Amino acid sequence: MHLTGGLNPEEYDRSYSDRELVRRIAAYFRPHWSKVLLVAFMVTLISLTATITPVIISRGIDLLSGNPQLQLLLALAAVVTVLGALGWLFNFVHLWFAAQAVGDVVLALREDAFRAVMRRDLSFFDQFASGRIVSRVTSDTQDFATVVTLTVDLLSQLVLVVVIAGVMLTQNVRLALITFTVGPIVVVIALVFRRLARDAMQQAQRAQATVNATIQETISGIAVAKNFRQEGAIYTDFQATNELAYRVQLRRVVVFGSIFPLLNTVSGMAVAAIIYAGGLMAINQAVSVGDWYLFVQGLSIFFYPITSIASFWSQFQQGLAASERVFALIDDEPVVVQTAQEPVGRLRGEIAFERVTFNYSTGRNAVLQDFSLMIPAGETLAIVGHTGAGKSSLVKLLMRFYEFQAGDVGVDGRSIRTLDLSQYRRQLGLVPQVPFLFSGTVADNIRYGRPGADETAVLTAARQLGDGSWLDDLPEGIHTDVGERGARLSLGQRQLVALARVLLQDPAILLLDEATASIDPLTEAQVQIALATVLRGRTSIVIAHRLSTVQAADRIIVLRDGQIIEEGDHEGLLTAGGHYAELYTTYFRHQSLDYRPWEN
Amino acid sequence: MTRREFSVADAYVYDHRSSLRWLQSHIQRYPLLLTTFLLTTLGMASSQSLSAVAVGNAFDTVLGGGDAAALTIAALYVVAAYLGYGLFDIVNSFAIRVLAQRVERNTRDELYLSLLSKSQTFHGRQRVGDLMARATNDVQQLGLFISPALGMTIESILTLIIPLVTIATLDVKLLVVPLLFLLGVTLALRQFNNNLRPIADQLRATFGQMNAGLAETISGIEVVKGFAQEPAEEDQFSHNARAYRNAFVREGEVTAKYLPLLLYGLAIGLAFGHALFLFQRGEISVGQVITYMALLGTLRTPLRFLLRTSSVIQQSMASAHRILEMILTETELDENSEGVAQPMVGDIVFERVHFGYGEEKDDAMALNNISFHARPGQTVAIVGQTGAGKSTLTKLLNRTFDTSSGRVLIDGVDVRDWSLDSLRAQIGTIEQDIFLFSRSIAENIAFGARTAVSQAQIEAAAQEAQAHDFIMGFPNGYETVIGERGVMLSGGQRQRLAIARAFLSDPRILVLDDSTSAIDSNTEDQIQRAMRRILQGRTTLLITHRLSQIRSADLILLMKNGRLLTHGTHDELMTHSLVYRQIFIPEERRLEIGD
Repeated sequence: MHLTGGLNPEEYDRSYSDRELVRRIAAYFRPHWSKVLLVAFMVTLISLTATITPVIISRGIDLLSGNPQLQLLLALAAVVTVLGALGWLFNFVHLWFAAQAVGDVVLALREDAFRAVMRRDLSFFDQFASGRIVSRVTSDTQDFATVVTLTVDLLSQLVLVVVIAGVMLTQNVRLALITFTVGPIVVVIALVFRRLARDAMQQAQRAQATVNATIQETISGIAVAKNFRQEGAIYTDFQATNELAYRVQLRRVVVFGSIFPLLNTVSGMAVAAIIYAGGLMAINQAVSVGDWYLFVQGLSIFFYPITSIASFWSQFQQGLAASERVFALIDDEPVVVQTAQEPVGRLRGEIAFERVTFNYSTGRNAVLQDFSLMIPAGETLAIVGHTGAGKSSLVKLLMRFYEFQAGDVGVDGRSIRTLDLSQYRRQLGLVPQVPFLFSGTVADNIRYGRPGADETAVLTAARQLGDGSWLDDLPEGIHTDVGERGARLSLGQRQLVALARVLLQDPAILLLDEATASIDPLTEAQVQIALATVLRGRTSIVIAHRLSTVQAADRIIVLRDGQIIEEGDHEGLLTAGGHYAELYTTYFRHQSLDYRPWEN
Repeated sequence: MTRREFSVADAYVYDHRSSLRWLQSHIQRYPLLLTTFLLTTLGMASSQSLSAVAVGNAFDTVLGGGDAAALTIAALYVVAAYLGYGLFDIVNSFAIRVLAQRVERNTRDELYLSLLSKSQTFHGRQRVGDLMARATNDVQQLGLFISPALGMTIESILTLIIPLVTIATLDVKLLVVPLLFLLGVTLALRQFNNNLRPIADQLRATFGQMNAGLAETISGIEVVKGFAQEPAEEDQFSHNARAYRNAFVREGEVTAKYLPLLLYGLAIGLAFGHALFLFQRGEISVGQVITYMALLGTLRTPLRFLLRTSSVIQQSMASAHRILEMILTETELDENSEGVAQPMVGDIVFERVHFGYGEEKDDAMALNNISFHARPGQTVAIVGQTGAGKSTLTKLLNRTFDTSSGRVLIDGVDVRDWSLDSLRAQIGTIEQDIFLFSRSIAENIAFGARTAVSQAQIEAAAQEAQAHDFIMGFPNGYETVIGERGVMLSGGQRQRLAIARAFLSDPRILVLDDSTSAIDSNTEDQIQRAMRRILQGRTTLLITHRLSQIRSADLILLMKNGRLLTHGTHDELMTHSLVYRQIFIPEERRLEIGD
């Protein structure tokens, strides 16, 4: 489905000179040089056996015109048999060792690429679609290896062509020259075909993408069509698209269906030419029958390497381009860089933003400008404001997911830039708006931050939320499989798992981005009780979307365009009738019991 | 015959008795293409053999003291043989490729039609992603099965056999080595495929695992970094990448050991020896030795083909099985076109209704012993946690699902006795996750109407649904195209279009899932006004999380784990239900403080 995806350039892409690329590719193969050398040696041997066999057969045919001894003939046959066996053996060693070298090199490159991805800060992941990062790490690395296997193959083909050409030239110059004319013809055909094929391929891919999108829509639309009894209409739509796909594919059939018949015919005509020219010479005794035979055979040995050499360059370029994409991914530097690695013990949880300026990328408007905020240890702070006011940015800066441009963020009086990042982040507990669960069980997810935690610890953490009765609703308790990305749990259940995960980690500071989609009232009641436990004794920043959370906070700040414009508690701010009162009307009023808009 | 909710009159009928017969019936739908392919394959193999004979004849002509004229004729035979081959080749190549494309098109069509004919129960169970995979990847795999895999296999078999026939015409004794060779190849191929199959499966599985694991890590990157678990993720990825590497190397080893090529190498030498021996005894000519060696030379290409085709065929059979499995899945409902078809009033009765998706034990049914009565025009709020069975309950009304036991009655008639057409036409649904087609807004609103509707009617419905203003805000108004290729709508806008759609279809009973509310109260105000209006005069089942809506409903159903805990009006429930009161505790507390 992602037919053209992954090939589009990304902002971090850079271009490398071909020399630089080859140098780096070679560096990955250096640890396996003995295998590569062996493979190259085998390739030469394969070419030699492939050439010697027809030569020997042609000598045998020459002998036939005399009155040969049977022993001599049988000896020749025995040599051909042994060469056949050796050819297979060389090929076996070649393929097996090549697979090992390529397997190891691709593995090493994938690990490097993955580590590079893990080093990136979140601005990278915001910017680049996950599917395309995945394809760089898994598919492009595979194509990288093809550069090398292609080169080795090309090498073997070249050796073969050179050896055959040499043998032919020593036997008969004129016949050799006739044979060589095939070369340019094949190359021209291959080049023309390449252009046609690329166009047809692109058209087909684009059309197929459209078709797949329509198929997706018509499949997703089945339920709606059924509710309205409109199956006939949607079927007509589907049929039209399906037919269109068929027609586009037919165009590709014409191009791809004709290339091999064409090349085969060219090769056949060349054979006929050699038969005729060689035959004439044989009649005039200018060439032996065996040599004549050798040329007929040699042509077909000569022909196929030429076709693959002609197609080599484009594939090689594709492989190089893939390598370039992988190296660009590996070489790109993260923006968030620590200035020191000071150890972090248990934090008290005092937070200070001092005149912080922050934007997500250069050239975009600053989200926070000269922003200052003090949060004493143990406070529960609710942040409210319109979308884009900078609420989430505050939390993400504190998590050190992004780099800020000016000012400083301090925790317990130390700049967060100087801390050991892993230790620091373990002191923070983040519950994102849409809680992300990994596939596995509920228990696996709860112990994500502390992989060594035993079942008792997991259960204890889970039971701290509400009275733990939420576990009873799970079919297999904490051993319930959460499904792909937690899909088998309800949103409320996922939030409870995310809270338990943070509780087990036991962070000093809690950062909570509440879900906007409304939760059913029964779950909301449970989550409220759970939160009361979690927030106790920790510094907490809550991006509040629920009326009940705002009401329970120690302090509320109202953000607008990265500035604090009001602060206080719920009752006080509501009475004051300022921005908070306006926000209440916009965001929180419809959660209230008295919400009846149709009455005014 | 399977039961269907939808059918078309002139659909082609395929054989469904097994995956193999099914594929066969798809291929046999085009006897002309198939015959053309088979005949041209035969033609290719024959002309290939003929060209070898022609080459041999050319040698004999020269060795027998022939002149240039005789040689010209011999060379022209070679030209003719190769031209014939080229001609057969191109027709053959087109025939099999066109056949592949048609089978792709037709299987996709058959699958889609069968999806349309299936009940909502089926679609409720099926994930769209899975259906998509079958309609795209598996169907494409069937195309690959026909061309190149099946085409190459048939071609390979014929190009392994026809040369033998030609060799027999040279001298029957020459058949000894090639026949032994073929026997050996048959055995070796079977062995090879048995060795390769598990490894090919492993290779696919490990690649899939590596990809899926990586995609998951990246999707959850905020959590990974938040918990500083990068090293653990690196270990996990390395583990997956290494498993793939091991499968890759093992595949390389098995492929490298492809024995038919060794047999071929040995056969060439032995055959050469045998031919020389026969020549020595004066039984064959030099030209025949050359023809023989040339014919043996043609055996190499099919061996290379067969190296790859078997794994493709293997995968294609699995794809065919997956598609057919879907087509054959039984569906519980049928159109019941003879059933009750009458104007609905909107009286709903649930009578000791149980419902299970099939696998559960009795106490874990999705719905357990549900009974209630909603009178025409009433609004019934359904309250409960996600997974409590709220939307399942509403889906029994329009027979998206049928009850396992108990009855659902509308206007006193069991829903199973209604004509499906009449039943669904009079029950409207506004889902939580609203699906709109990538077409114009007008077309989306008109989608639900049974008859052609005018632009004026569409606009009137949009007015009622509070959607007219935002629609007119788009440059193209009602002709604005929605979706990936057009404008993206917000959740609130989609909801209002769905309400407009419902106004046009004018159902007597409405199922409304309002459990996702907009963030913005101003939008929310408009939606709530629109909803209030569409509820008027209809019996409505309302799934909602909104306390104010719950409070003002005529009847409230409080559900937990598939059971109806209690039902009644707000005031009734506040007095006798503890669970219900808990819902309102935070609100009550606020009111106490506020007052």
